[in-house]
Amino acid sequence: MKIILKNGRILDPSQELDVIGNVIIEDEVVVEVGSDVEVEEDADEIIDCTGLWITPGLVDMHVHLREPGEEQKETIATATQAAAAGGFTTVCCMPNTNPPLDNAALIDFILDRAASPLAGGVFVAPVGSLTEGNRGDRISNLEAMRKAGIVAASDEGCATQNSKVMNRAMEYCNQLDLPILAHCEDYTLSDGGVMNEGAVSAMLGLKGMPRSAEEVMVMRNCLLSLHTGCQVHIMRVSTWGAVEMIRQAKYLGARVTCETCPQYLCLTEEMMADFAPEFKTTPPLRTQVDIDLLMQALADGTIDVIASDHSPHADYEVQVPFDEAPFGMAGLESCLSVTLTHVTHSGVLSPLETIRKLSTAPAKILRLDAGTLRPGDSPVAQVTLIDPELKWKFDVQKTFSKGKNTPFNGMELKGKAVLTISGSEIYRDASFDNARVTSIN
Amino acid sequence: MSRNLTSIRNLKQSEIQDLLKLAAEFKKGINHDTPMKSHGNKVIGLLFFENSTRTRVSFEQAANYLGYRVSSFAAQSSSLSKGETLKDTLLTLKGERLDALVMRHRSSGSANLAARFFGGPIVNAGDGEHEHPTQALGDALTILEKKRHFQGLKVAIVGDILHSRVARSNAWLLSKMGAELHFVGPKMLMPTDGGRLPGAIHHDLLAGIEGADVIMCLRLQKERMSDGLLSSVGEFRRMYQVNRETLKVAKDDCLVMHPGPLNRGIELDDFAADGPNSVIHRQVENGIFVRMAALHWVFEGNGESK
Repeated sequence: MKIILKNGRILDPSQELDVIGNVIIEDEVVVEVGSDVEVEEDADEIIDCTGLWITPGLVDMHVHLREPGEEQKETIATATQAAAAGGFTTVCCMPNTNPPLDNAALIDFILDRAASPLAGGVFVAPVGSLTEGNRGDRISNLEAMRKAGIVAASDEGCATQNSKVMNRAMEYCNQLDLPILAHCEDYTLSDGGVMNEGAVSAMLGLKGMPRSAEEVMVMRNCLLSLHTGCQVHIMRVSTWGAVEMIRQAKYLGARVTCETCPQYLCLTEEMMADFAPEFKTTPPLRTQVDIDLLMQALADGTIDVIASDHSPHADYEVQVPFDEAPFGMAGLESCLSVTLTHVTHSGVLSPLETIRKLSTAPAKILRLDAGTLRPGDSPVAQVTLIDPELKWKFDVQKTFSKGKNTPFNGMELKGKAVLTISGSEIYRDASFDNARVTSIN
Repeated sequence: MSRNLTSIRNLKQSEIQDLLKLAAEFKKGINHDTPMKSHGNKVIGLLFFENSTRTRVSFEQAANYLGYRVSSFAAQSSSLSKGETLKDTLLTLKGERLDALVMRHRSSGSANLAARFFGGPIVNAGDGEHEHPTQALGDALTILEKKRHFQGLKVAIVGDILHSRVARSNAWLLSKMGAELHFVGPKMLMPTDGGRLPGAIHHDLLAGIEGADVIMCLRLQKERMSDGLLSSVGEFRRMYQVNRETLKVAKDDCLVMHPGPLNRGIELDDFAADGPNSVIHRQVENGIFVRMAALHWVFEGNGESK
């Protein structure tokens, strides 16, 4: 089977490639890429990519699959289908399931489910619990889980409060060469809070989570990374102060990287004025000043990655008084488009840099065979075709995810993944013009 | 058509005026034994998920005067104690054909949720730390009766501003009507970014109430001590009690108000609570008339949801 992607704008940050050219996929691997690749008309399928971007399959390093234990919110099958529709070919699943992913058997379970024909054909890179049961006191059997296939360890959903435990975990992960994905929240400071502490929380009479709750832990984790040498990735940065800490830590030579999420780049606390629980997330939506400075940090490279923090919930869990609603929003199917709309089309990031944050950088941080179109670097072709100019309206009822809890519902967006390939084609969007495909056989 | 009364913040000045005018008319009518116009066979659900005697009785009285029938629920006897969600409770009450709901709930924004699932009319009788619109209307009616106007009045709200729905509703209402607001209290009980609430912030009592036309004290909730937000009741009393001495810096005819129930000897001394400046009992009485106005207003609405 030979597929030729013809005349597209190839954006491959792993090779600093931004050219109009062709990509040839043969027997499910990329064999040739570039502007000078000659196209012989002998392929099974030729896809005309004029006006489209051909990018490495996107990598979402922060996704909650909810299985096992909370299948009412999402399953591995539905989440991976949603991922494919969002342009992702690899997703990292967080360990705060029920039970938490703190042993090798559960990692096997995840990988088996992800490989099932019912799943979306997307690679799942599991992240193991940093501590047993996500309880924050004893370090998990990380070596056994590493052998089973975890790509990182994390206390996501249950931030390690005890600095001594975190310090030891970093020493151990450094030995195992395993990155830590750090959820940064001081629970004594954020205690009971449901939104950003500030003008709007004062107005609404909702308990606020101060920005210091995030920043104190970002600083601690940066310092511990510096002292232990452990590779630490700070998850979903939301405040300008946290960005500043990370900038300093990088300057001091810490092996620290970080991510932010689309919601922190275009939504503010102001939008919660009607108590809509779709806007409730942790860390909470902040202010326009934070957005402006996060954008700056994206542009100057302090923020390495854009991830979705896909956190689906069932409708009945969300349709409750605001303070009782769970934190988080579904994001796999809006992540790319919201980023293109608010970050790329606004000129903050070039198309190549956008793809770096959404694919190459996360793959590099987690050492995945992904995030590249270079022949031979990935055992299976992972390619996303993006129509950058497509204007569409996000309709949550058309999403694959079980989680309909998204603040982006109804939003006008520009740009969309129209075809996702992971080995073979795994998703074709309704907006994809089928006339682009020539089938030879 | 109906409308909702979920917050003061979303009301226009003219709507506040209408409500106060309506309340004054009801008061006059009742004081003169004028027969009430029948308001039809409507049934109002009083849904109180938090303990409240005074507000519930006040709404009951208001409904009685207007000839409405009342169906009363308390949290302990509702299905919520059996695990039913608030949404399902609201849908059930809608199915049971209640004509309106008066709801108090411990969650800020719960009145908005009620408006979403019950429809209307909804009267918010206190949602968490968000708003308590009819309390503010009753306070405003009391001020209006004594001062005849709001324009330029210096109003000091003293105590736990951060957690007070009464403070918020009053602040929105009085500032919309032209009063000058001053919030007084310790930093820990003040919003971090008070900038959005319409008023000046003071941590010193005397500076905050100097020259005041109205002082509103708020009830100090004892659980704030266990939160660690306050060092002790004694310290609060020494710093923020409105009493014979501290009242001297306010205007001679300064009104002393309190939404009750008051912690006598903490927020106020006997002189302030019972003396010539106190209008605390009048606030309670006026509560009934503004609740009559609120019920009338939501039923006779023009379809706009507020």
